[in-house]
Amino acid sequence: MALNRAEAVARQMKLGASLRGLGYHGSAWRHPGVDPSGAEKIEHYIALARIAEDACFDLVFFADALAVRARDEPKGSGGKYAGDAELDPSTILPALAVTTRHVGLISTASTTYNEPYHIARRYASLDHISRGRAGWNVVASFSEREAQNFSRRQQASKPERYDRAHEFLEVVLGLWAGWEADALVQDRETGLFFDPAKVHELNHAGRHFQVRGPITASRTPQGRPLIVQAGASDAGLDLAGRFADVVYSAPRSLESALRGRRELQDRAAKFGRDPASILSLPGLQIVTGWTSREAGEKRAALLDLVDPLLSMMTITRQFGAFITPEMLDDPVPEAEPQTEYSVAIETVRIARERGWTVRRLCQEVGLGRVLCGSADDVADTMATWFEAGACDGFNIMPSCSPVSLSDVAEHIVPRLQHRGLFRTSYEGATLRENLGLPPVEPAIPPMQPAEATDA
Amino acid sequence: MPEQNGAARRRMSLAVHFHPTGHHVAAWLHPRSQIDAGSNAAHYLDLARLAERGKFDLIFLADSLAIRPGDVRARGRWPQYMAYFEPLTLLSAMSAVTSRVGLVATASTSYSEPYNLARYFGSLDHLSGGRAGWNVVTTGNAASSRNFGRDEHYAHDERYDRAGEFVDVVRGLWDSWDDDAFVMDRATARYLIPEKMHRLDHRGPVFSVEGPLNMRRPPQGHPVLFQAGTSETGKETAARLADVVFVQQQSMERCREIRADIRARMPKYGRSPDQFRLMPGMAVIVGRTEEEARAQYDELQASIHPDVGLAILSAELGYRELPDLPLDEPFPLEVIPGVDQGARTTVRNLREIVERERPTVRQLYERFSSARGSYPLIGTPQSIADTLQHWLESEAADGFIIQPAILPGGLEDFVTLVVPELQRRGLYRHDYEGQTLRDHLGLARPPSRYASSGAKGDQDVD
Repeated sequence: MALNRAEAVARQMKLGASLRGLGYHGSAWRHPGVDPSGAEKIEHYIALARIAEDACFDLVFFADALAVRARDEPKGSGGKYAGDAELDPSTILPALAVTTRHVGLISTASTTYNEPYHIARRYASLDHISRGRAGWNVVASFSEREAQNFSRRQQASKPERYDRAHEFLEVVLGLWAGWEADALVQDRETGLFFDPAKVHELNHAGRHFQVRGPITASRTPQGRPLIVQAGASDAGLDLAGRFADVVYSAPRSLESALRGRRELQDRAAKFGRDPASILSLPGLQIVTGWTSREAGEKRAALLDLVDPLLSMMTITRQFGAFITPEMLDDPVPEAEPQTEYSVAIETVRIARERGWTVRRLCQEVGLGRVLCGSADDVADTMATWFEAGACDGFNIMPSCSPVSLSDVAEHIVPRLQHRGLFRTSYEGATLRENLGLPPVEPAIPPMQPAEATDA
Repeated sequence: MPEQNGAARRRMSLAVHFHPTGHHVAAWLHPRSQIDAGSNAAHYLDLARLAERGKFDLIFLADSLAIRPGDVRARGRWPQYMAYFEPLTLLSAMSAVTSRVGLVATASTSYSEPYNLARYFGSLDHLSGGRAGWNVVTTGNAASSRNFGRDEHYAHDERYDRAGEFVDVVRGLWDSWDDDAFVMDRATARYLIPEKMHRLDHRGPVFSVEGPLNMRRPPQGHPVLFQAGTSETGKETAARLADVVFVQQQSMERCREIRADIRARMPKYGRSPDQFRLMPGMAVIVGRTEEEARAQYDELQASIHPDVGLAILSAELGYRELPDLPLDEPFPLEVIPGVDQGARTTVRNLREIVERERPTVRQLYERFSSARGSYPLIGTPQSIADTLQHWLESEAADGFIIQPAILPGGLEDFVTLVVPELQRRGLYRHDYEGQTLRDHLGLARPPSRYASSGAKGDQDVD
């Protein structure tokens, strides 16, 4: 639903920053403003989180995967891929928790290749360490390579993985609720440290898990860590509608963002939730500067930075080997995609329509979809989306870290603040408070309404 | 061995073991403990800085995958293993506020996947610039198994078989990329050399893991491997895999035997006994005088609630339910099982003590409440240094895991009083000499399994 100006100012935009690796540009490591070995240095991530926090971002986010992704196809491309040497984000976030004070800390963890007891403990600990800033991006994982790193010949079917994800979340939420908020007495006079009557076993017995509980962590500062979700499929929407506080998306247009947010809110309502208690943050890659000309120059430089061979790896993953390094200056040939929708497929379609060369296609795929313009133009577009009710804010995906994040902090954030659409200081003590989400309902994990009795 | 002041002298390694409020079961009742330690990260960050000021080799965090089972009456009066931080998460936070001290956490091979643990510890090693260690445990209690979908825990030997294969897989994954695989050459647009990546392709009885790990080889090559069990299987596994063994053992003679035994088993695995460290746990209370130390000890002992005392004995016996026992009568030997499937070493310890000394129930629980199976080390800086020196020079230990009775107070006392005495005697470093935990412990950085053979990818050397 569209907002008038007063409502928009009252609600305010939420901003996240996706900080995985060196940025979302495939050859970011070659940018002169990027430390090519930054991806395995904690100092790199601390610097990024501080840029985000100085700009009052709500949260920083780390995607994750449990396998290498590169394939040396075409030959020679494998040596150009910088995304296969990473740190584990669940170890990055605690280090960020003690080097920042306000910004929310979210990372991805798989429900397919973990145990709920471990995940419940790790995120509860992060919530305690950060004093209420933790969130978990729930993924059901989707690659065969990941399955093969976990003693499976192949991955389980999608319905099976999502079925497990639902039950996984039931268990984790149940474990987080196991300690009542006032269970810790810590009274030296009476000799009672906690009240055993306020610590509950879960005794979950389901299709995928049997978990007795309780966990070894008291109730966390946010009541529980936030749940984040990103899948846009029907199964993903169900999971998000039932459990998520924040949802990431990748809409192709304002219209699809509007539709997506409405669908999400409907899905939340279907599970008996308040549609306003679920926030939608589309991913956004911004290229900007003082003027639209400067922004355009930056975009051209980013296109030049792309290594065509590396983009061919991405493209051939979707299409098979239909282009080769010898064809860089030829027009893009016809091809049938072999997988579901992706940005690369969209870009190949555009390339065919516009008669691009293979080189241009590779450059555009390497850069990805960006919002490019002067700071005012970019802020206008963001305000338009927000006021149209297409989103609750944005998840900023820097092309090259830290330079692209600094650009957003320096150019875009002040303009959003000037319009009254973004905070100038943090309002709350926890991530949940800063996002304006309602307090967690105590003790009862949110099961489906029909079976909402299991505490 | 390193030398100091011209005198050739073996020097000791020191670790500090952090229970939230301290090692003593009644620590949380003492005014010098941090009562909310289990959810107070700032407390731990201060402890980590303090350990680093004391030039400790490492910080050690134990773990449990269930709240403490056993007597419900005692639960609320005994906070250990009830509400506290997950250790890897906490060490990651500590890594950001320290620069030298090693960071070692317990993680179980029974309820985890090798790919996940390889990433966690590998990542901690990167985060900390080469200071990570993994205490490999096989989790032998039923309470944990019920949080992971199993009604009964694994049998002892099955656990160790799984652990052995688990560690092999983890080490193989850490070797996924040669140390020089990442060239990051902007001029040639070459980030890495694909030929220096190795697919593990492990196919074993328990695990099938394709690899490679999506992470550079850790700074230490492999984070340091710790182990705690000293059963027959435990010692054999240690000889094959462990860099450090942590024992809770009250007899110096036993420690000397264990150390010699494990060292003697190493050559058959192609390992030099020099590449092994035995670190017994020392439950320490330091006073400026004997009286001061004794007073603190007595104060702690007096505040043990009998329900807690009995629960501790039950825990030492593998959470065996105890009959009603008069507190001031001798502890009945027949209550102690012969060989238990679970905590064998602790049961044997307790049995030896009861046979040898015939303590009353109260005497026995007071003893275990204070030291929890470790050697109780209560005294002045001089007497404590004497004992540590004696154990070291008797080759019963390479270093010690200091378990302060209360935290932070007990660690403050150790760092300000005992550390200078050890340094004065030339038994302990004045400052860190290396960067990594392996440097501190004098352990070599392990070469990659692919290094010597010149093997290309796609083959499993083991």
